[in-house]
Amino acid sequence: MAEDPESVLQLPPSAVAAGGEGLGELSPETATPEPPSAAVSPGTEEPAGDTKKKIDVLLKAVGDTPIMKTKKWAVERTRTIQGLIDFIKKFLKLVASEQLFIYVNQSFAPSPDQEVGTLYECFGSDGKLVLHYCKSQAWG
Amino acid sequence: MEENEFLEEKAFQHCCAEFIKHSQQIGDGWEWKTSKDCSDGYMCKTHFRATAAAHPSMSPEGQTWLPVEEALEEPWDDSEVTEYAAASEVVKYEYHVLYSCSHQVPVLYFRASFSDGRPLTLQDIWDGVHECYKTRLLQGPWDTITQQEHPILGQPFFVLHPCKTAEFMTPVLKNSQKINRDINYVTSWLSMVGPAVGLNVPLSYAKASFQDE
Repeated sequence: MAEDPESVLQLPPSAVAAGGEGLGELSPETATPEPPSAAVSPGTEEPAGDTKKKIDVLLKAVGDTPIMKTKKWAVERTRTIQGLIDFIKKFLKLVASEQLFIYVNQSFAPSPDQEVGTLYECFGSDGKLVLHYCKSQAWG
Repeated sequence: MEENEFLEEKAFQHCCAEFIKHSQQIGDGWEWKTSKDCSDGYMCKTHFRATAAAHPSMSPEGQTWLPVEEALEEPWDDSEVTEYAAASEVVKYEYHVLYSCSHQVPVLYFRASFSDGRPLTLQDIWDGVHECYKTRLLQGPWDTITQQEHPILGQPFFVLHPCKTAEFMTPVLKNSQKINRDINYVTSWLSMVGPAVGLNVPLSYAKASFQDE
């Protein structure tokens, strides 16, 4: 699975959603590259308040959605689902009329304000959080 | 459970029953209501929100919306706190999940009113649409949120139009068939459409879908 080099998820400031306090903690500097398995192995105690700690996210496409060339990303715990959606849409060059959904457990869409750190706590396994994503024209 | 992207009515009722079971476990407030005249029923939930003049993430001026308790924790000076509290309103939101026979999918009806009974307008509702969905929704608002008569109550409600539901549910359902896992259609669907109109579906429903785990 780790054929792609680990990439650090960095969003340009313009992608920050209005009102998303957590995204203010996104730092533009390049994070120290950490081997994924060491950084977020289950049972590792995260220092309290260390909100810059990244978690491993594996992104999987559902349906006809384009597959991302880089599937494995290190994402700050405080990144919201909305932030991740914006990122994937830009990465896949989707147009505004296309909706992108992200799922946990391949079936449930967390609310856009949900932080990936929380999702990792609930649904992470083997040191990573698997998220499925799917594009669709959901409305109208 | 479903072999295609459509949901039969009995399956809909079963999904709702499972959904409500979990709702009761976590105190999420969903109930099943039946109409006296027929066997039709629907799920409904009421919740109250304190809101300031403008919705937080919608306002380009950057006004923030906080529950009153949070506002008081901020280092505002007294006059601002007073002003804020005076401006805050309690809005009652009602969400109803009905079955659409014509589309063979669930449909989300909703309405909101201020504490004095004044209903929120469609514009107010639009202002409350999550940023995440706004761009797309605003490209064709009249196709997607409309006002219709509630099929059972006969009162005006806003409706999130169901015509595309089957389409966006298909990949999720196909995927679940591929991995041989039953999902709760209503749970999945509501998690996707709910946030667009201010309805939060707690994360624990995601695990509740899998009774065998």
